[in-house]
Amino acid sequence: MSFFFQELVNGITTGALYSLVALGFSMVYGVLKLLNFAHGDLYMVGAYIGFFIIQFFGGAAHVDIPVPLLLAIMFVVAAGLVGGLGVAMERFAYRPLRDAPRIAPLITAIGISFFLESAALLLFGSQFREYNTAEFISLSSGIQIGSVTIDSVQIMVLVLGLLLMTGLQLLVNRTRLGRQMRAVAADREAAEMLGINVNFVITATFFLGSALAGIAGVMGGLLFNTVSATIGFTAGLKAFTAAVVGGIGSIPGAMLGGLVIGVAESFVTGYISSTYSNLIVFGLLIVVMLVRPSGLLGRVQLQKV
Amino acid sequence: MGPITGPAAPVGGDQLHFAQLAVLTDNAANKTRITLVQGDTQLNPAQATTVSQQFISNNSIVAVVGPAGSQEVKAVGPAMGRAGLAFISGSATNPTLTTGPNPTFFRVVSKDSVQGPQDANYIVSHLHPKALMIVDDQEVYSTGLVSSMIPVFQQAGIKVDHESVSQKVTDFSSLVAKVTPDTTVVVLPWQLAVNAQQFGRDLQQQHKTAVIFGTDGLFDPKSFTIPGSYVSTFGPDITSIPADAAIVAAATAKWGAFSTFGPPTYAATHVIDEAIASVCKSGQTPSRANVLAAIKTTNEATTILGQPISFDANGDMVNAKFFLFKINSSGKYQLIPSS
Repeated sequence: MSFFFQELVNGITTGALYSLVALGFSMVYGVLKLLNFAHGDLYMVGAYIGFFIIQFFGGAAHVDIPVPLLLAIMFVVAAGLVGGLGVAMERFAYRPLRDAPRIAPLITAIGISFFLESAALLLFGSQFREYNTAEFISLSSGIQIGSVTIDSVQIMVLVLGLLLMTGLQLLVNRTRLGRQMRAVAADREAAEMLGINVNFVITATFFLGSALAGIAGVMGGLLFNTVSATIGFTAGLKAFTAAVVGGIGSIPGAMLGGLVIGVAESFVTGYISSTYSNLIVFGLLIVVMLVRPSGLLGRVQLQKV
Repeated sequence: MGPITGPAAPVGGDQLHFAQLAVLTDNAANKTRITLVQGDTQLNPAQATTVSQQFISNNSIVAVVGPAGSQEVKAVGPAMGRAGLAFISGSATNPTLTTGPNPTFFRVVSKDSVQGPQDANYIVSHLHPKALMIVDDQEVYSTGLVSSMIPVFQQAGIKVDHESVSQKVTDFSSLVAKVTPDTTVVVLPWQLAVNAQQFGRDLQQQHKTAVIFGTDGLFDPKSFTIPGSYVSTFGPDITSIPADAAIVAAATAKWGAFSTFGPPTYAATHVIDEAIASVCKSGQTPSRANVLAAIKTTNEATTILGQPISFDANGDMVNAKFFLFKINSSGKYQLIPSS
């Protein structure tokens, strides 16, 4: 039974990361109907920012400020800078194409993804950078229940992920900006006619989604230790899948989709074999899509004829 | 040809540096003017194919050093053969490379069919596991080694859990959770040392005491430092070979510490340099055909590898060996003499 819970914890932790990145995918798709394939690369940029902040404060072995303060700085700076990068992306690459055929921004998104990856290669080099988390966070200070280990970084990822997802859900459902986002997602032209500043809402959506990817990048760096220019591809692919499975455009769906994929991967690896992990997980997802084409929590779109 | 950028850049960097050093040294010794053209394969067969096409269409290229990975050799071998272009790898160890359609391929390292059983026998006779986990990284190099090791473990009555993860995976927590208390050895025939380092950290975080046994790709003292782990590799520790002191000093002065991936590439480059020099000495202009013929008759008595280099009819190096290292408590690699 302890093995079951260990795999569950591992799966939820990884799933929380997928969910955070998937949220950005889903939010952007919700308001713009754009599949932002550069979103995974924002995760990569966030991971690099976290790494360089650790170096700035003395490196993993010699952090010269309190660790909670360091972590706070890493998350806030990554969120701010990556959020800003997302806004710049929207302003200079996607906005000019807003009324173009849908294939144009899609190709642009792929182009931006390659641009960010190549820029990271040029700026930071091709070698892997290592967070060396264990040198500044005591992983043994986590929770041990029987033989189930939940280390302190996993706890932090779970708690922070839960807080961010709850906060986002509250923002979308209980605030003026959230109402505006929902209005733009439902009908952009009608929202504009009602006096909503659509450009501002889209910019805010890009900022929030990108900031979440930046935070997830720092979390990924802390959990998996390594950062390279190419980590965004896999993160983006998994997050995109999570968003689709959950119901693209649905915020609770993105959260659920990420967790489903994370937990499914973990259990397939644990109980069957890592060899067939992707085969079985993606096979299950195909079944989900066949049964519910709009995703687990997605709504069927009615089209006027 | 090598992974100058990408996840295996530490390997490619060392290989490029030692190839440059060999050309520099051999040009001075032989009064030749050989130049090195770089091709970045990123350890990716598709990218290697693109690079090989560029090299094949460049008539001034008479021989190639590399590529690094067995999967890349498989991708480029037939085309290189059709072009009559000799290529010598300093790290591709898959056994089928010298039995398949790669007539112009050579290597200055041993092969997995030697390494796999040798490592497996060492594990059986020295580490005595009741059960072990072996994880391939879904690349030709890794799956080939796994195939040659598993029969040895099964014959010894060891319970084997064979797993498989992509090189792109960095989250090993679920896999590590499967390491049972009986599993005292985890074999990782991987190409990316950073992944093995993360696997080792996950083992420590989940309080698992299994020892990691890795192969060539994990020989990276900068990236893989899990104490108690073993790493077998085709390259010797040339810092312990007195005759290599000048090369060690030159390489260290220029690029700092290096892994065992560099010296075999130096040897591969040197073989090509000497082949070109011998063609020139015979009064001919170097071409792909005469350089290929000269490489086939290579017979170097003393080399950077501390052993002679000559090739058999298939392009394999005669009497190539593997070396085994153990990582001590401070993360340093120590050669196990009996290996």
